[in-house]
Amino acid sequence: MSRIIVILLTLVMFNRLSAADDQCLKCHETIGDNPSALFKHDIHFKRGISCADCHGGNPHLEDMEKAMDKKAGFEGVPKGDDISRVCAGCHSNPEQMKKYGSSLPANQLQNLLSSVHGKLSVTGKEHVAQCITCHGAHGIVSVKDLRSPVHPLNIVKTCTKCHANAMFMRTYNPSLPVDQLDKYRTSVHGKRNAKGDSKVAECASCHGSHNILSAKDVKSTVYPLNIPSTCAKCHSSSEYMKGFNIPTDQYEKFSKSVHGVALLQKDDMGAPACNSCHGNHGAAPPGVESISKVCGTCHAINADLFSSSPHKKAFDQRNLPECETCHSNHDIIAATNRLLGVTPEAVCSKCHSEQLSPRGYVVAKEMRLLVDSLESSEGIAKLLIEEAEQKGMEVTEAKFKLRDVHQARLQSRTMVHSFNEQQFRETIEKGLKTAAIVQTEGEFAIREYKFRRIGLGIASVVITILAISLYLFIKRIERRQRTGM
Amino acid sequence: MKTYFKTFYHWIDERVQLEDLVQFLGKKYVPIHRHSIWYYFGGVSLFLFIIQVVTGILLLLYYKSGEELAFESIQFIMSKVQFGWLIRSIHSWTANLFILTAMIHMFSVYFEKSYRKPREITWLTGMLMFFLALGFGFSGYLLPWNELAFFATKVGTDIAGVVPVFGKPIMVFLRGGQEVTGATLSRFFGFHVAVLPGIFTVLLGIHLVLIQRQGMSEPLAREEALAGREKTMPFFPNFLLRDLLLWLIVLNLLAILAVFFPWELGKKADAFASAPAGIKPEWYFLFMFQTLKYIPGKLWILDGEIFGILLFSAGGLLWTLVPFWDRKSNRGEQNKVITYVGLFVIFYIIVLTILGWTA
Amino acid sequence: MTTTDGLNTVNVKKRDFLKWILSGGLVAFVGSVLYPVLAYLKPPSQSEVEVSSVKVGKLTDIPKDSGQIVKFGSKPVILIRTVAGDLRAFSATCTHLDCTVQYRKDFGAIWCACHNGKYDLMGHNISGPPPRPLNEYRVVVQGEEVFVSKNT
Repeated sequence: MSRIIVILLTLVMFNRLSAADDQCLKCHETIGDNPSALFKHDIHFKRGISCADCHGGNPHLEDMEKAMDKKAGFEGVPKGDDISRVCAGCHSNPEQMKKYGSSLPANQLQNLLSSVHGKLSVTGKEHVAQCITCHGAHGIVSVKDLRSPVHPLNIVKTCTKCHANAMFMRTYNPSLPVDQLDKYRTSVHGKRNAKGDSKVAECASCHGSHNILSAKDVKSTVYPLNIPSTCAKCHSSSEYMKGFNIPTDQYEKFSKSVHGVALLQKDDMGAPACNSCHGNHGAAPPGVESISKVCGTCHAINADLFSSSPHKKAFDQRNLPECETCHSNHDIIAATNRLLGVTPEAVCSKCHSEQLSPRGYVVAKEMRLLVDSLESSEGIAKLLIEEAEQKGMEVTEAKFKLRDVHQARLQSRTMVHSFNEQQFRETIEKGLKTAAIVQTEGEFAIREYKFRRIGLGIASVVITILAISLYLFIKRIERRQRTGM
Repeated sequence: MKTYFKTFYHWIDERVQLEDLVQFLGKKYVPIHRHSIWYYFGGVSLFLFIIQVVTGILLLLYYKSGEELAFESIQFIMSKVQFGWLIRSIHSWTANLFILTAMIHMFSVYFEKSYRKPREITWLTGMLMFFLALGFGFSGYLLPWNELAFFATKVGTDIAGVVPVFGKPIMVFLRGGQEVTGATLSRFFGFHVAVLPGIFTVLLGIHLVLIQRQGMSEPLAREEALAGREKTMPFFPNFLLRDLLLWLIVLNLLAILAVFFPWELGKKADAFASAPAGIKPEWYFLFMFQTLKYIPGKLWILDGEIFGILLFSAGGLLWTLVPFWDRKSNRGEQNKVITYVGLFVIFYIIVLTILGWTA
Repeated sequence: MTTTDGLNTVNVKKRDFLKWILSGGLVAFVGSVLYPVLAYLKPPSQSEVEVSSVKVGKLTDIPKDSGQIVKFGSKPVILIRTVAGDLRAFSATCTHLDCTVQYRKDFGAIWCACHNGKYDLMGHNISGPPPRPLNEYRVVVQGEEVFVSKNT
């Protein structure tokens, strides 16, 4: 059955111009050149497209001179942007593509021209990449064919033809690294790809194919704000990730985390995307021992304090991931006081129970008490100042000091990571002292406000007395006027 | 002590004939009847005006006009300057009480028909002063350059802008440009502390001189009934001392208001911020503001808003010119129509103000 | 003065008492009005509204390669003098969580002690958690005096 179809198909296609009639191919085969040999298994050849369809000329003429005459429309080997234009002659024309039974999109050239490869140019005459740069010229096969240079297993090599070549890249983008392949091979994606797994991410999975944009372009799939959704394309699809045995809820967790909210909702470019912790070309989960280094690139003080704290050794011995143990990984939420202490929702109590670890238990309890007391005195000070301000009192000075209390509280949160009660207490007490000053100033302002009412009371009494005596005085004058008259 | 005072008095008297004035004041009498109480509201208004002048001058010592400084300088007055909060609160409260007492004064004169011949000029100057007082209120409201004032001014000048032909130039003149900006603030400051007080003082002078020359007006009915044998009290010292007594009470009230309900400063105006909800003009403009809201967008061939403005302008003009068309009162006859019109106006203002306030 | 009146002496005493109260009340009243007014007239210690501009001090008192916090209303501003001697001022409120930043000679950068945020000497956030650059203020040198003012 299938044989009949093949025969029928070949009959139909060769009806236009059978290979036997193609004088170009015939002749070039006899010479035995590379293009004609490659073209034999080219998908275009199979669909009946001849040499002349790209190169021009008259394939029916046996006379070489006449067949390859410019008057017969012979163009020879297209140069520069003409190459892509020849391909686009069909590939950008949906009608034409339908005729050949292709379901390929017809916007590749358009995409290419708006991509970084289509815009960059050294000579100014042609853009960096033409169709054949990646797809080859005479041996083009489907992307699903293992022989294709753009097959998932080959594409890495194809891109690195240029991108690993420092000399070449210098002409276009000297600041772009050329070690992507080396890093890629260290990543989970790269290792599996090398073993022949075509499902894992390769260059095009993240960067796109024809429409590759610079990572600094806001529309790029690898622009920091877009990275999480790019990774999530695969990593959030439980169907696609079947067989890899890893969770698929990272994006969901991340988007709710303090980092995800900052990045995705507030467009805060300082917030980490997936690659900030996992790397990009060298993507891999950070190991237990390197988590604090990864988090420490931003949270430096916390990491330093932790490393010199007694917890460092304890965590290492128990093989606990450092930051993650308390803060989790993808779904990190803003740390509050409730993390500290021995209450059920506090993380300290995970290890420090009253029976098994009484020393840590006491310290955790004490630290929570300290930070709570600072928070409450900051709150009281703030309320007092607000009340005084509402009463129209001048408290900018105290408000200025209130900032120091706030700062001490934030610093104490960092200081927690020393897990040293003494150090922590010092920071807290600095804040408590300032809070006390602010409270006094607030109370003073409110007292001053009350003083105003007393002042008013006195003035009121004075005015009332004066008014009453004036009234009596008027009465007396009038009485005398009556008696006088 | 007494002799020193007498010598001094004689010294002055020799030069400016003080004795004439004392004689004049001594012979001046204020009629006593059941409507006498209304006589005091003019005096209270005068007292409040004096307070405004004094506190206004005091505020002027620290206030700085200009987009950058206006708000900050008021903040400075209220927080840094001793008793600055008191002076500013009193100035703001007095402004409102002044409009209120002036209104009461105006309505009492209206209902007594005291504007009738020969006191037409007194009524006219009084009405002009009332309009100036509204101008004082409108211009002074903007000076702290806070959010509410900024948008209220915007709306207020916008309304002026819709009047055909004259409106646009008036709006541009008031704003000192197309928009409410620092230029508007400078202008309003100029109006508030120089232009309006200047005109007001002249009018006030005429108003007071006329009252002293012509004496207090008396209700029509009484004039007929008790011609000749009327009950009176001397202006000096009886009436004047009573005036002073009332002033003291008003001052006490002001101090209490200023301390217990200090005037808020609010947020600094920001031309690019969106208008806060519930922008309302000062209460004395509220009834007009509210009326404009009720008038439909299109009335016959006129735009609703223009119609409303024309209506109020015409109403204000008629009201001001009442001594010239109320012939009956001029002849000394009772004119019930005038009373009903007045009652209707009061009723209308009260209802619309309440509606506007609660809206 | 009315002693020759037919009224008895008790009345005279009462009248004198009334006069005494009246004049005493008048004096107290004048005092209670004048006191606030006079207190108001006395210029306060900070004699002018200076919120849109703050005087920092003499140029010669600000060493090169240093930074100092200047009170600008109720907000802190950091005034930096670079190694080259340029003056720059930025809001000293960290854009991350509102701590007050400081100048670190050893980094040659503006640094926030709370979470190790760093800003370069143009106020741009260069490392750590700060999401935005610091707001810039204007520095004006008039003769010897250095002023910091709002950047409008």
